[in-house]
Amino acid sequence: MRSKIAVLAFAAALAAGAAAGQTSGPFYNVDKEVRVEAAVREVLLEPRYKGTAPFLVLRVEESGSGKAYNVEIAPSWFFGQDVHGGEKVRIVGSLVEAPGATPTIIARELRLRGETFQLRDKRGFPNWQGGPQRKRGIRRFGGF
Amino acid sequence: MMRKKMRRIVPFLALAALPAWGGTVYMTFNQHATRNLFQTRDAVADRISAFSLAIDQDFSALSLVAKAEYSAFQETSGLSSFAADIGLDYLVPSGRKSAFYFAAGGAGQFYQQIYGSFSSLGANLLGAFKTYLAPSSILKLQWQGQYAVYRDSLFDFLSHRTSLSIDKYFPSQTTLKADAEWGYKYFLHPFLPELMLEPAASTSMAALTGGGGMGGPGQSVADSGGSGAGWGGQRYQGGEGFIPRYSNSGGGVGIGHLSVSLLAAQGIGDVIGLSASAVRQWIVAGENPFLSVEEFYFVQNPSADSFSWEGDQLTGRISLNIPWDVTLKTGYTYADRTFPGVESMSLDGVPLGLVRSDRRHLLEARLQKDFRRLSVFVAYSYIDNTSTDPLFVWKSHFITGGFEWNLPAGRRKGGA
Repeated sequence: MRSKIAVLAFAAALAAGAAAGQTSGPFYNVDKEVRVEAAVREVLLEPRYKGTAPFLVLRVEESGSGKAYNVEIAPSWFFGQDVHGGEKVRIVGSLVEAPGATPTIIARELRLRGETFQLRDKRGFPNWQGGPQRKRGIRRFGGF
Repeated sequence: MMRKKMRRIVPFLALAALPAWGGTVYMTFNQHATRNLFQTRDAVADRISAFSLAIDQDFSALSLVAKAEYSAFQETSGLSSFAADIGLDYLVPSGRKSAFYFAAGGAGQFYQQIYGSFSSLGANLLGAFKTYLAPSSILKLQWQGQYAVYRDSLFDFLSHRTSLSIDKYFPSQTTLKADAEWGYKYFLHPFLPELMLEPAASTSMAALTGGGGMGGPGQSVADSGGSGAGWGGQRYQGGEGFIPRYSNSGGGVGIGHLSVSLLAAQGIGDVIGLSASAVRQWIVAGENPFLSVEEFYFVQNPSADSFSWEGDQLTGRISLNIPWDVTLKTGYTYADRTFPGVESMSLDGVPLGLVRSDRRHLLEARLQKDFRRLSVFVAYSYIDNTSTDPLFVWKSHFITGGFEWNLPAGRRKGGA
């Protein structure tokens, strides 16, 4: 009996841990996916969701129309990548609009300096990985 | 033999990933083929299968990262190893344009047979600060400390690196970056006591090592309590060229460097990326504690690393973003390196009166295709190495292919 209780308590703790990983805030809506080509105007680190690290957010201006967007990238990217103001980017992501506020794009794919980064899968599941420490391992010869 | 080992280790690694509920699990498999595992003129071919499993779990601003890897060498089975790595990351914003990053971790690597001397346990700390001086200019400061103990205590060390970098992006799609680094590595007890030598032979290590080298495969390092032997010596087949020093002074010895590097990168449209970089490194304190250094393919040989040389390195790279999420990267590196404290020797082990100096031409190419959760790649490298030590005059090809698969282990969707 005691062992059953222990198993149940362990399962409950696991479930609680999983629930703690869920967050509030806008969800990735695949029906509102947009593709935008833009220039980066500002790079910021902003708290976006309860219980997560601050996100790298790009303030961008769409090429042609000049429309402004906030693009939500990933929490780990502030140290993982160097994004500069003036750089051209292409974003695929879910558009979140609120009255009176700059529209936000939750980025799923980012093309930067000729390289495409998959930040989420097509259903919006995060795909990012870490800061400097997470790039460990044996470097064979050069930097590839 | 190798398949049997892989069958044993894969379920263990899969089980280790289960706690990553709510995080991300990364699985990689790489297959390597080399014609010159020990990177000397006496080429030894091998094939290596490496399987790794990593988890990444966020708890607010704190992240837990854990990785386990098993590498199986088909021919030189003593180099097969199991490695485990665990770390915590912490991101602390400082305003909206700056942040501190702290990381702490521990790592272990375990070899078997004669290469058991390379088995190690270590800890590392990292602190970094990044700030946007302007939207197009980034300043970074980083400090990294590392401590490692080896089964053969000759290699035990404490090291640190401090670096500063600044970059600037221009509207012409040009990025300029300058880096400076100061590093110091302190080997805690790298010398063998002289009383182990026969008196008549104490004048020259080279005379002792001769063509036969230090020790042989049957000599147990554990038995000798840190002998520096056990994995061969100059021209010993299967672990070549390592020769320790003898001293009764005891204590440790350090080697420190200062390096500067410059990088220029140019984007051409959205498809082509070009970059050129130059590194100059000076040894500003001490020298290598060992009479020789050696590099193995895929294995972190504790006698050689980025602390052990001074000289120049020039690199050019081209990156092509081909349709269908295919990336092609190619590069060429020229390196001119001198290893202070390391003596060049003839193939018979006679000192040549020259500090070892190598010139290396490296060609690299990597083709990668990214799918939704899977990346597949094939890579090729060619090295032409010349040296004042004839043992290290060699050319060889290296081929690697593999995949990385990542999957979310939780139910998170949307914002994070």
